[in-house]
Amino acid sequence: MHYTTGAGRVDVLKDVDLDVAPGERVAIAGPSGSGKTTLLLLLAGLERPSAGSVALEGMALERLGPDALADLRRERVGFVFQGFHLVPSLSALDNVALPLEIAGRRDAREKARALLGKVGLAHRLGHLPAQLSGGEQQRVAIARALVHSPRLLLADEPTGNLDDHTGAAVSGLLFDLNAEAGTTLVLVTHNLEMAERCDRVMRLHEGELSELAPPLRAS
Amino acid sequence: MRFLLRFAWRDLRSGSRSLWVFSGCLMLGVALVAAGGGLFRQVAGGLLAESRALFGGDLEVRSGEPLRPAELSWMRARGEVSLLMEFRTMLRTSSGQTHLVELQSFDERYPLYGEVSLRPASSLREALALRDGSWGVALDPVLAQRLGLAPGDSVQLGALTAAVRARIERQPDRSLRADWAGLPVLIAGEALPATQLVQPASRISYRYRVKTAEEPGAWRSAFAAAFPDADWEVRTFAERSERLARALRQIGSGLLLIGFSALFIGGLGVFNSVHAYLQGKLGTLATLRTLGLRDRRLAATYVCQILILAGGASLAGALLGGALAIAGAALAAERLPLAPALARLAAPLALAWLFGVLTALAFALPALGRAVSAPPAMLFRGLAAAGLRTPAAYWGWAAVCGVVVVGLVLTSIPDARFGIGFILACALLLALLEGLVRALRTSSRALRDHPLLAGRFALRLALANLNRPGSPLRPALLSLGSALTLLVASTLVVAALLRMLNETVPERAPALVFYDVAPAQLDEFRKLVGGSPSLERLDLAPLVLGRLVQVNAESLRESADVERALESRDEHKLSYRLGNFDNVVLTRGRWWPDEYRGSPLVAMEDREADQLGLKVGDRLRFEILGEPLEAQLVAIYAQRRFEARFWLEGIFSDGALDPFISRYVGAAYLDPGEAIAAQNRIATAAPAIVTVRTEGILAEARALLARAGSGLAVIAAVTLAASLLVLASVVASSRARQVYDASVLHTLGARLAVIRRSLQLEYALLALVTSLFAVAAGTALAGFVMHYRLQLETGDTWWLGAATALVISSSSLGLGAGYVLRRLRLAPAQLLRDGG
Repeated sequence: MHYTTGAGRVDVLKDVDLDVAPGERVAIAGPSGSGKTTLLLLLAGLERPSAGSVALEGMALERLGPDALADLRRERVGFVFQGFHLVPSLSALDNVALPLEIAGRRDAREKARALLGKVGLAHRLGHLPAQLSGGEQQRVAIARALVHSPRLLLADEPTGNLDDHTGAAVSGLLFDLNAEAGTTLVLVTHNLEMAERCDRVMRLHEGELSELAPPLRAS
Repeated sequence: MRFLLRFAWRDLRSGSRSLWVFSGCLMLGVALVAAGGGLFRQVAGGLLAESRALFGGDLEVRSGEPLRPAELSWMRARGEVSLLMEFRTMLRTSSGQTHLVELQSFDERYPLYGEVSLRPASSLREALALRDGSWGVALDPVLAQRLGLAPGDSVQLGALTAAVRARIERQPDRSLRADWAGLPVLIAGEALPATQLVQPASRISYRYRVKTAEEPGAWRSAFAAAFPDADWEVRTFAERSERLARALRQIGSGLLLIGFSALFIGGLGVFNSVHAYLQGKLGTLATLRTLGLRDRRLAATYVCQILILAGGASLAGALLGGALAIAGAALAAERLPLAPALARLAAPLALAWLFGVLTALAFALPALGRAVSAPPAMLFRGLAAAGLRTPAAYWGWAAVCGVVVVGLVLTSIPDARFGIGFILACALLLALLEGLVRALRTSSRALRDHPLLAGRFALRLALANLNRPGSPLRPALLSLGSALTLLVASTLVVAALLRMLNETVPERAPALVFYDVAPAQLDEFRKLVGGSPSLERLDLAPLVLGRLVQVNAESLRESADVERALESRDEHKLSYRLGNFDNVVLTRGRWWPDEYRGSPLVAMEDREADQLGLKVGDRLRFEILGEPLEAQLVAIYAQRRFEARFWLEGIFSDGALDPFISRYVGAAYLDPGEAIAAQNRIATAAPAIVTVRTEGILAEARALLARAGSGLAVIAAVTLAASLLVLASVVASSRARQVYDASVLHTLGARLAVIRRSLQLEYALLALVTSLFAVAAGTALAGFVMHYRLQLETGDTWWLGAATALVISSSSLGLGAGYVLRRLRLAPAQLLRDGG
């Protein structure tokens, strides 16, 4: 994967070969600018590879149009961003219900309400994002990422904007819910503790992906 | 400090593109305030400074007959006296066209104040003198233009054929109602007998103007004391000035209010624009704070920027407004004796500039406080916008500016009642708006779970966006809503006036109205009018002039109440009911039966009756041609203002006025197409009879209304332009939010078509709510104006206001939506890259 800028060609990812099995949890670590975010964008079909192919459950993403990609994300992919990215005009409940609403599901709000209860925000259903703390916003974001039972969960530094204590709580919640749903997880993180809870830890360095030694199990 | 100023200037130059809305809004608002204030000062200052000239003297003694020698010598002993004789008559051109004019003749001392200037230039005496066997006349320029008359043409006035010698370029005492009541034609006093128009039945007004060093009020009292039984009316220039000043104050206040409204709307643009500008500066602000710049100095830097911009934009607006005021005054000078003076513009322009700067500060400070209070750490982590609040101190300073603006509004507006009304209306508007926003929020919450909305994702999202914090609903409602309210109200008022002119009046109005028909002319006159094949009806009624001298045995002339004493000198127009030919409306008491022939009964017009405190049942004594006439007041009636033709002030039971009848008035109902021919026929055969063609008056009214309509349209267009600028700023500042929301939704799997539909729905809902608001507020405002100021029925024209509001709001918001949709570049990848 490369970009062409005014200063010339920049190779972001070089000959990356990654195969993630259903239900597997993979952490991707690496210094800033190593291409972690680009890898996530490729996995979500939000960018197209310069060469090679990205396949989700055997479906080549680069062959799909914008609407088909949007449908695919709606049905099979969940996102957790470092900056939460909740829709500011919608309440916590409506934010969580969004993926189901987009899909036209009539039970969207019931499911969202149940999931918000699970992440401990049953008392914050009607609050707007601006009225929630950072930790609470990320819990809403995790609920939103999982409410439609996606096959793949992509998380980009989910605790990057949170303090240690809140970060640990959010991280625990993410892994617990993931384990419960059996979702495949690709996690970009600098946080060693989080990385160690994954099945594999990959390292990106100057665009090249390599697997680190088997991590220590958290339990 | 120099560093801060330099930095403020450089920073402003580098990123001021988003501030064009700020400058545009402020400039338009200030321009209207400056134009309104400047025009008022030009016209009011010009007219009031010349009010002695406009009035013609310090005092005027007005009488229906020449004053007695003793009275004249009393007057001449106490000042300079000039006599102007005037009466309405018909002027006929050599091509047979006729026109109602006010024929004026005067002595050699006219005018006592000011100068008459003619074109071609000559002295009045020279122009009007008998030359080559012809007397000369000077014509009002409007009359000359209407009839296509130029020096050298000849005109017929009664029996006299006179030569047009000049157009009047400036007549210091030209009546402000000349365009309606009769355009002036000047003629030498010696030429009057040759017209043969001065007859016992004609209504000549003898106006003796007095120039005196004495205090006019004292002069009048002394004159009245010296001749207690005299019949004349005496007016002072101060009374006339006061009436004129009151009318001008109201017009000036109206003009200024429109300016203030535009400035208020512009203020919203200032807020949005500064807000958007500072959002883009959050990084710079954070950097400056981390580099150690204290809050106060940081705030000072950006206040400097706002002051530089506000000062510049307000200056441009004030200059633009000044130019508009001069253009307006020049236009008014065509009809009014005005001499535009640049010096009179200085104060209103300076005030408009101050209004601009203070308004900008009042609206910009809250946005500034919100931006500079952002903690640097928060900014660097990209969470700035979420929890920022304006510190109380900034609200405080904004409130101080607001209070000063309110104070200035109240002190600078000529009629304080308008100012208070404006402030109250603004407060009411804001309260209404707040209520509406809350109602929308509540109903939208209630609707959220409604089965109707289930599965309608785009609509639910649009509804949610409409009432989110920072939604464009509030500024759009305030700006576009206020401008549309004005537009709806003026559309409805103009439409109602036009309808009244086009439909109601022609149905009920006679084609011709006659004055000064002598009893001996009645038969000939009937024949002349009867020559029109389409004549449906000819009403003729006596018109008698008389004074009310006594009420229930109390003499008005000796009343301690000055108003009552003066009222006793006024001549009233009296007539019979004759099948209610002037279409008056009874408001109190009862009419007598048609066959009543007993002792005299009278009905009085409500304005006269109320001025004197008359009640049904009072015994009244009138004095007509020196003879008393007693009558009992049995009814009080009102005029149908726009339909009244004769403005009768008293209506007597049949027979009571018979001994005093010396002239008749009349009204003929016939095809308007035949009216011109009938008018010309009567003017030729009986030149002393004054004929007014209703169609001509209506054309004059329509032209006036068209001018007023164009003026309103211009004002509404400027206000609308200001509101569209605000709207542009709202759209621009919400674009970032919409792109962000759309990106999140697209990342979560929403298709582009759904996102676009939701945006279109959001703007459509905004247009609907704004239109509904404008229609409700505009209809209420128009209803108020029509009911209380114009005494007009509101009718069923509300749909016209609704259509105007819907078309304008949906097209302007449609443009906004189109712009956003064209610029909607989704960037889901950016969400991951920014991390915040």
